[in-house]
Formats: sequence, C-alpha cells, structure tokens
Amino acid sequence: MIKTENITKDFNKGMRDEVTAVKDVSIEINKGDFAVLKGPSGSGKTTLLSLIGCMSRPTSGRVLVENRDVSRLPERFMTKVRRNTFGFIFQQFHLIKGLTVSDNVMLPLYPTDITPSELRKRAEDILNTLGMSDRKKFQVQKLSGGEQQRTAIARALINNPAIILADEPTAHLDTHLSEEFLSIMRNLQQQGKTIVIATHDPLVYEKEYVNLYIEMRDGMVRGAGRKH
Amino acid sequence: MAINKHKNILDYTLQSLLRRKFKNTGIILVFTFIIFAVSSIILLSYSLKKEAGMLLKYSPEIIVQKILAGRHELISTKIKNEIMGIPGVSKVEPRYWGYYYDSGVRANYTIIGIGVSGIENNRLIKGRMPSANEKNAAAIGREIADARIIKKDIGDSLNLQNSEGRWMEFKIVGIFESDSEILTADLIIISESAFKSLVGMPEDTATDLAVRVANETEIPTAARKIKELFPYSRPILRDEVIRTYDAVFGWRSGLILAMFAGALAAFIILAWDKATGLSAEEKQEIGILKAIGWETSDILEMKFWEGLVISLTSFMCGLILAYLHIFLLDGFLFAPALKGWSVIYPHFNLAPFIDFYQIAILMAITVLPYIASTIIPSWKASITDPDTVMRG
Amino acid sequence: MRKSTAFFIFITANLAVMAALYIHSLTAVSKHPVFKKEIKEIAEKLRLTDLVLSTDARYTRHPSQADLFSAFQDFPGSIEHFPTGSVIPPPDFSYMRTEIRIYGN
Ligand SMILES: Nc1ncnc2c1ncn2[C@@H]1O[C@H](COP(=O)(O)OP(=O)(O)O)[C@@H](O)[C@H]1O
Ligand SMILES: [Mg+2]
Repeated sequence: MIKTENITKDFNKGMRDEVTAVKDVSIEINKGDFAVLKGPSGSGKTTLLSLIGCMSRPTSGRVLVENRDVSRLPERFMTKVRRNTFGFIFQQFHLIKGLTVSDNVMLPLYPTDITPSELRKRAEDILNTLGMSDRKKFQVQKLSGGEQQRTAIARALINNPAIILADEPTAHLDTHLSEEFLSIMRNLQQQGKTIVIATHDPLVYEKEYVNLYIEMRDGMVRGAGRKH
Repeated sequence: MAINKHKNILDYTLQSLLRRKFKNTGIILVFTFIIFAVSSIILLSYSLKKEAGMLLKYSPEIIVQKILAGRHELISTKIKNEIMGIPGVSKVEPRYWGYYYDSGVRANYTIIGIGVSGIENNRLIKGRMPSANEKNAAAIGREIADARIIKKDIGDSLNLQNSEGRWMEFKIVGIFESDSEILTADLIIISESAFKSLVGMPEDTATDLAVRVANETEIPTAARKIKELFPYSRPILRDEVIRTYDAVFGWRSGLILAMFAGALAAFIILAWDKATGLSAEEKQEIGILKAIGWETSDILEMKFWEGLVISLTSFMCGLILAYLHIFLLDGFLFAPALKGWSVIYPHFNLAPFIDFYQIAILMAITVLPYIASTIIPSWKASITDPDTVMRG
Repeated sequence: MRKSTAFFIFITANLAVMAALYIHSLTAVSKHPVFKKEIKEIAEKLRLTDLVLSTDARYTRHPSQADLFSAFQDFPGSIEHFPTGSVIPPPDFSYMRTEIRIYGN
C-alpha cells in the first residue's frame, strides 16, 4: 500500500540551521494495517507522516503509494493523490473557524464536481455515524475538544480515503475521549481502511489491535515490528 | 465542464466572506463610495460638457473684444462697417452686457442690454422680453426671481442703481423658466438704451461685438483678418468657447483632478492593504485547504472570486448610486464645488448623457487591480507545500 | 438556496437596474430641454457664450470670455480667492501673439 525507500528530508538545506528531520527511512505499510509511528518529540514523526501523505516531497528517496512513485509527481497530481487516497487528522485539528461543523466537513470536496445536495448528504451520513448530527449547525470554535476532533475525523472521511493519517490525535484529549477516538479508528480499520497514527502516547501504542510499530528516534527508524 | 466545482468554490468564497462580515462590508462600503465619487464626477462632467457643446453651438461665431493695457475695454461700434467688409462676415452686432452686484442678497447678476430680441412666444419664458426701446422693462432669470424672501413675479418691480447713484425702476415683464436655467439663471435682460443709461456707457461703444460668419470654414480667416485690422482686438472663436468647456470638464482640469485625487488615494490604500500580504490566519487557512486536498489553482480561483465579488459588487452599486445622485438628485453632493461662493446658481437638471468609454476605463482601473491585489499575495501561500500546517 | 446562485441573482439584478437606468437616460436625454428649439433660440438670440455654473467670479461665470482684465486674476500663478477659480482653468491666450521680442545687434 505505502512504501518508502530510503527517504530523507532536510530542512533549510545549506544554511546554518540545516536539520535532517527524517533520515534514510524505509518502511512498508500494508492495506488494513493499524500502524503506529512511535517516538519522542522531535524524532521526525510529523515529517514522515507528511511525506507519506504527499504533503511534502523527500529530499531524496522515493515514496510509493499503491506501487506508484508519488515523490516526483507534479503538484497537481500529488494533490489528486492526496485528495483521493488520504484523510488527515491534524494534531491541532485545523478546523476553519467561523464555519459550521458541516461546512468544515464538506470542505475537502468543494473543488470537485459534486452537487451540493450530494455533498451535504455525505457529510450528514458521516456526522451521523460519529454521533455528531445534532452539532452540525454549530460553529466549530464553540465545540468541545472531543467534538472538534470528531469534526476533524468526519472531514478526513468525507472523500472516503483508503488511508487515514493522524498526528498525535490524543495529545489534547483525556483518557475517555482518547479511548473513544481509538475505537472510531478501530472501526474504520475493520471496515478495511488503513490507519497510521503518529504518537508517543502509550494508550495508543499499547492497544492490542495495533499491528505495526515503527519506532523513531532522531529522524531514523530504530525498530519496526509487526504483530500477528 | 465542471460547473459545480466552480460554483462550489464560489459558495465557499461567499461563506468565507460572510465570516468576516464587518471587515468585508467595510471594504465594500469604502470601495462603493470611491466608485460612487469617481463615477459621479465622470457623469457630471461628461453631461455638462455635452450640454455646453449643444447649447453653445448657437453662440456667435466670433466675439470681438477690445483689450487696452491688458484689460478688457469697451469697443467702438464704429469699426462695425470695416468688419462687415471682411469676406464671409454676414452680420456684426454690438453686445451690451456686464455685471451688477446686488448687495441686498450679495449676489452678482449678469445684466444684458438687447435691441430687438426676436424672441416671441418662447415657452421657456413666462411673459415676454423687453422690447427695443422700452425704458423700464426687464426679464429676469428664475434664480433672481427666487433669490429674495418674497419671490418676484411678473408685474413686480426691480430697482437697480445707476452709475450716478440714482435708482431706476424696472417692471418685470418676463421670467425665464427653470428649464433654461443653465443659460439664464442669473440674467437680467433690459433694453439696450436702458442698459446704456444704467451703466453710463458712452455713445458709440459696446461691451464687445458679435460677428456672424455664415460659412464655418471662413471663421478662422475672418478672425485673423479682424486681428490684422484691429491689433488691439481679441477675437474669441466659437470653437474656443466650446473647447474651454471641454477643458473645464476634461480629465486634466482642476475640478476633475481635485476630486479624483482623494478617491484615488483611498483606492490605493485599499488595494495596498490587500496587496501587502495576508494575515497569519489567512495563510493558515490556505495551508489547511491545500492539506485537505485543494489544488493551487482552486485556491487562486477562490481568491479570484473573492476579489470579483467585492469589486464587482462595489462597482455596480457605486455606479448606480452615482447615476441616481447626479441625474435624479441633481448632484447635491458635488454641486457645491462648482458653485463656490456663488449666491445665485442654477439648479442642475442635467441631461443624463453617459460616456461608456470612461465607465469602461473606470472599471478597468478599479475592478481588475483589485482582483489582482487579492490574488497575487495569496500566490505565494498557495504554492508552498502544505506540510507547514502540520505543525503549529 | 446556494450562495453562488444568490450572488448571480444579485449581479443580474444589478445589471437589470443598470439597464433600466440606461433606458431612463435615453428617454430623459431625448426629452431634455437642451434639445428644445426654445433654448436654442435663447442662446442664439441673446448671443450667450457661457453656461451659468457659478456666479462667484467673472472668469468662472464667463470662462470663455475670461480675459486679461482685473490685475492678473487670470494669470495661472495668481493667488486665488474664489474657490471655483482653482477649478476652472484659464483660457489659452497663445494665439494672441503678444509675446515680447528682443532683438540683439
Ligand atoms: N519546516 C521545518 N523547518 C525546520 N526544521 C523543521 C521543520 N519541520 C521539522 N523540523 C525539525 O525536524 C525535526 C523533526 O520534527 P517533527 O517531524 O515535527 O518531529 P515530531 O513530530 O516527532 O515531534 C525537529 O527537530 C524539527 O525542529
Ligand atoms: Mg509532531
């Protein structure tokens, strides 16, 4: 499903503050995996996630999504791959303030030729399954943290992605809400989606259904292991 | 054709503009006002220019003034015959006119002495014109009639002080109707002989001479000839009269420039504010949109719509308001600039001539730059990789 | 209703108002006194040369007749005490050919 071959990502190359955030990383994530990128803060998890998700390009190495090298694709195609394959859940949620829950959820599909009624129906269905239908007319900044995250999940699901990427999703949640988030992810995995979560929260990586661990430190993969 | 896609992006743009209701309505109001002000000037000046052109094409082909030591001087009527001898000249008529200061209402009137006016049954005149040798009859402009607390009407009398300080009484026999105000608002018409005795004008002199030339092409030659025969004279051609008005209401005149300057400055500030970059919030938003699957071109399209919605809305509203202002509300906001300190002035009832060329230019220099100043700063934000939103 | 539809309706409404104003302008112009023969008669018979736009100075009441009188009042650099004077430009006197010629030996 996703494969990286010796990818490296440098920031500020050639300057005094040059950093190598990800170094020579080769990993493979299969369809249906519940993968965890594990490691302390600054170890390169976010950077790796953005490389996998076609949000940025590696300085060297290749990223293959469904056996297709995406790391050298022109911007337009990269965006297409990103929109059709991935759903992102950001650490800070990154909802757009001032818009309602359903508007935020519909956002990724505005620049497609979908009709508004169809789009609204899709958003409503997803919000229903997440138990958010009574909040759909709320402005996002008026929601609680857990509700904001569920909005972010709904937004990540609107394009029916094969892979869901989440960056430190439980960092701002209490245990109860974290559990809730994980059970949503587990559900999605059981529906056949691939889940990749970057985290250093034991609550996440100790879950029995996590089947792929990738441990990072200083931008490098320290160890990777599969269960089952 | 992906019509829905474009409408979706426009939907989002509008939604997004509504989120910053205060800011955006503020921008639209300022923008509308700028367009309103500039279009008002354009409509007003073009209409006056056209009216001047239409009305003044009936004025005498040549006016001959006498200049003495650099000042306008009374001209001798004895040179009439000599001018008549110039080829092409069909008629030479002395004009008697001047100004009269009315300390009662602190206004200046234009006072004209006429011989046989030849104006009869003119529907724009209530009553009649004084006849050639009538000593104490006057026709007056509507604004003079209305200038005093007690409005004057036909049959009332008008007292003017002559050059020796004695009062002369005139009976009002005619009043110009308001439809002719642009020419007649401040006129007092009396007979030639009454004028002469009122102002104490010496015999055989006139204020200036009106020369009629039947053939258009002979006018400049005739004028040159007059200048040769009478080097002290200043012939004013009808073309120059019309050109004077073209200049008064042209782009480069002080009137237009003065009014433009303010509006232009405001517009530049508006566009500058746009063009000098996005707020952190706007940048963040663009990053989020990119991260969740918007292409660079989608973002730029959204920004295009944003610029278009604001500028087109403002342009249309401003233009409509300007039309209402100038042609239906008599330009009440701008008329004071023309009136200056005048006490007497016409109530404009302008003919709504529209110059589409100038309107199109105005659109090109406001709507397009505004759209550009909306798109360009977001260009940079929209081409950077979206991974920056992953942090912070 | 979709916001985009509302916007297009708004623009169309504006265009309709503008079209209506254009029709108004056509009819108002055709009926305007400036086209009446009566006003032409007044202009012609009274031998008028100027519009009454302002009555606060000679050269703004009769810009086309403005001349060299009144102590430099029409000189482009003169200090102006009438507001309209700053707004109505002085006429072009260049055709008068009264320039000073200085001949050397
Ligand atoms: N855009 C950037 N510019 C410079 N340095 C960066 C940038 N993004 C990340 N880094 C650096 O790369 C390293 C890895 O960061 P990150 O991937 O965010 O780690 P993690 O998500 O594991 O905390 C850090 O040292 C960080 O400072
Ligand atoms: Mg991180």
